[in-house]
Amino acid sequence: MKYETVIGLEVHVELATNSKIFCSCSAHSYGAQPNEHVCPACCGMPGMLPVVNKRVVDYGIKAGLMLGCDINRTTTFDKKSYYYPDLPAAYQTTQWFAPVAVNGLVEIETSKGKKGIRIKQIHMEEDAGKLVHDIREDTTHVDFNRTSVPLIEIVSQPDLSSAEEVEAYLERLKTLLRYARVAECEMAHGTMRCDVNLSVRPVGSNKLGVRTEMKNMNSIEAIKRAIEYETARHIDAVENGTEVLVQETRRWDDIKGKSYAMRTKETAGDYRYFPDPNVMPVVIDEAWFESMKNSLPEFPEVKRARYMQEYGLSEYDAEQLTKSIALCECFEGASAVCGSPKDATNWILSEIMNLLNLRQMTYDMLTVNGKSLGELILLVSNGKVGRANAKKVLSAMFDNPELSPEKYAEENGLIISNDTGLIDKVVKEIVASDPKSVADYKGGKEKALMALFGRCMKTLKGNCDPQVLRKILIDYIAKV
Amino acid sequence: MDRDTLRRLGMLNQLSLTDVQKEEIIAFFDERESEAKAELDVIDTSDVERMVHVMPVFTVVREDVASQPFTREALQAGAPETDEGYWCVPRVLE
Repeated sequence: MKYETVIGLEVHVELATNSKIFCSCSAHSYGAQPNEHVCPACCGMPGMLPVVNKRVVDYGIKAGLMLGCDINRTTTFDKKSYYYPDLPAAYQTTQWFAPVAVNGLVEIETSKGKKGIRIKQIHMEEDAGKLVHDIREDTTHVDFNRTSVPLIEIVSQPDLSSAEEVEAYLERLKTLLRYARVAECEMAHGTMRCDVNLSVRPVGSNKLGVRTEMKNMNSIEAIKRAIEYETARHIDAVENGTEVLVQETRRWDDIKGKSYAMRTKETAGDYRYFPDPNVMPVVIDEAWFESMKNSLPEFPEVKRARYMQEYGLSEYDAEQLTKSIALCECFEGASAVCGSPKDATNWILSEIMNLLNLRQMTYDMLTVNGKSLGELILLVSNGKVGRANAKKVLSAMFDNPELSPEKYAEENGLIISNDTGLIDKVVKEIVASDPKSVADYKGGKEKALMALFGRCMKTLKGNCDPQVLRKILIDYIAKV
Repeated sequence: MDRDTLRRLGMLNQLSLTDVQKEEIIAFFDERESEAKAELDVIDTSDVERMVHVMPVFTVVREDVASQPFTREALQAGAPETDEGYWCVPRVLE
């Protein structure tokens, strides 16, 4: 019998806000000391009342609109009870009865074509704290820096059916949320985490099989491996009776390539959801809703088409640039300043991509601003800075986004010199030091001239107009 | 009310019910449900917005500005045990 895998995802995304969802503690705990960003509210101390961070709701609305959802114009917070030391109040404030966004649709593309994945809902909630188990044997150490950091949870319908589709779906979510600038969505940083709900059923059947959930997966590759393992395990259980499948939460061990039962799956009743009496309903009025709608970015596909039409880019170049909103902003800014979309594209897709790779940075971590890149491109096209030295300037721009390319080039002796006296001097020295190359060139070997040219350029540290140097070099060799 | 819902409610409320009691409860709720449904079905609710709160109230929101008015030391002053800035709790077995 042939089986198909049925997968639904719950994706937690940390929102890129300054402060936590219900208190003013910093939401950025990376590099902080334990419990540095905490207050009585996020520590769950009695009597402390939550105050909603407006930007969290802004981002919830924007995420919902990006994923084609309807926005609940009155959205409410609820308490989800569970007892564990990472949750100091013994309940999580989340959304159950009226989540901010519902009924969305995300289109993905795989080797099998395009497919729509339905979004059941997006709800806003607070993150839990962090437990450390390996400092001492007799206790668990608790750090509440992450407690109440704002999250959205994006719940899909069980419309996914393969690891490839899951990857495409997660990539699409990342792109759309990054375009809207609501989240970093970096699985390696824990700002995007994924629970995978999976079951199998005979092809053609409408009845869902027993579902298991794997929690807190934090790399796409691990998710793909886990899906393949779980699919095989489920089919084996159904077909050969190797085990009895039960609805449960499982842990994926990526090193061993196996999943293990953690606990029997909770259902909504176990959490005793009820409306949070401490947070009144959030009413999104027309002005608020409209301002969010108006702040949405152009979608990647629309931008791609515009780049091809407005800037005359090839489909490939437009596709590469629109993979990231940061690349798009850099491109548009640079094109506006230098007036050459083609040059801006080339610089971004070659030099900037190289530097991002070398520094192990994602596209969205690009901090070089388009205006500065445009100024650098102008310096090169106006013959003020050589290409090799321009790369040095670009590297410095990665370290300091505020840097003025021209000022940096001037201060570091990277401006092309019009001092023909200096060029003459260098040419004479190089020619005198390499009679063999001179003879080879005179004997018809063009490569020999390039060798001499390269040595002269190196001695001049690239601060020389290549055309001027070449002319002086050829003229001088002709005389000796 | 089905048997599974009743079983879960019983478990959450620490109730031990006999099979006879379960049948009685299910029959009781089935009857009430069909009566209530018949009454509700005659009401047109298509234009009625969902009630999210019994009072016409809504929350205030704050701007996204981070601040740190409390120190860790002050917050941990009453803790039974701390270590290197962490709160300590009885070991949680993973």
